[in-house]
Amino acid sequence: MGLPADVDLLPRLLAGEQGAFRELIGAYQGAMRAVAYAIVGQRYADEVVQDAWLAVVRNLSGFQGRSSLKTWLLTIVANTARSRLRQNRREVLLDDLPAPHGSVGDARFAEDGHWAATVPAWHEDTPEALLTEDELRECLEKTLLSLSDLQRSVVLLRERQGLELEDICNLLEISLSNVRVLLHRGRLKLFATLEHFEETGQC
Amino acid sequence: MLTCKELVARSSDLLDGELSFRERMAVRRHLMLCRNCRRFIKQMKLTQAVIRHMPESQGSDLDDLAAFLAQQRRDNP
Ligand SMILES: [Zn+2]
Repeated sequence: MGLPADVDLLPRLLAGEQGAFRELIGAYQGAMRAVAYAIVGQRYADEVVQDAWLAVVRNLSGFQGRSSLKTWLLTIVANTARSRLRQNRREVLLDDLPAPHGSVGDARFAEDGHWAATVPAWHEDTPEALLTEDELRECLEKTLLSLSDLQRSVVLLRERQGLELEDICNLLEISLSNVRVLLHRGRLKLFATLEHFEETGQC
Repeated sequence: MLTCKELVARSSDLLDGELSFRERMAVRRHLMLCRNCRRFIKQMKLTQAVIRHMPESQGSDLDDLAAFLAQQRRDNP
């Protein structure tokens, strides 16, 4: 994935070059949105991201380059979201909502802890090949939507944005063990969706 | 020896490099002997890659936002 290098981008941002802002938004808005989602929920996420962008522009001259631009942007959006929230923090809900195709649950294992049945092989073994099916893409979207805001954000920040677990727990102010649990359960649900689709050809 | 169920429970930590040396060895030993778990881990990795490759819905107003922010920046250097 071609993320713009900070050293190239920063001077152009400081000069107010529109193309540079376009690159910045294109590269990082997805991650910013995921952070906002996790903290304030879907309803206010867009507002928070917009406010965060304004804060970014206001503070750009003071950006010291001690962290990467990405880390800096995500910290700003987390702070913006948190001040927006103010009220009591939402509890981290570890209770899962049902995903369309469940997960990898106890039923898959025999008494002795081994797989009860063979793990089926998938027909395709590249993401590109798997994603050629529109129906599968929609189905995965559906599974992502079945996750709580916080869980979805953890999954997206880790899998799509490649953030370190530690950065995720700092940004979202949840414990590392919560991040690990949320991520693991989210992955198993997505896995189950793919497996189901590979087996039945349907969502 | 690690059971398949335990291996599945640790699979995310394996993917994230969060296992201790001992745990990593135990997982590796299990994977050497268990085709189902090898397949499972391979497909978990593929699931990760799929999520990575899924098109991200960007707002359609990227250009407007960029123009606006650039203008803001030029107005308040
Ligand atoms: Zn096994």
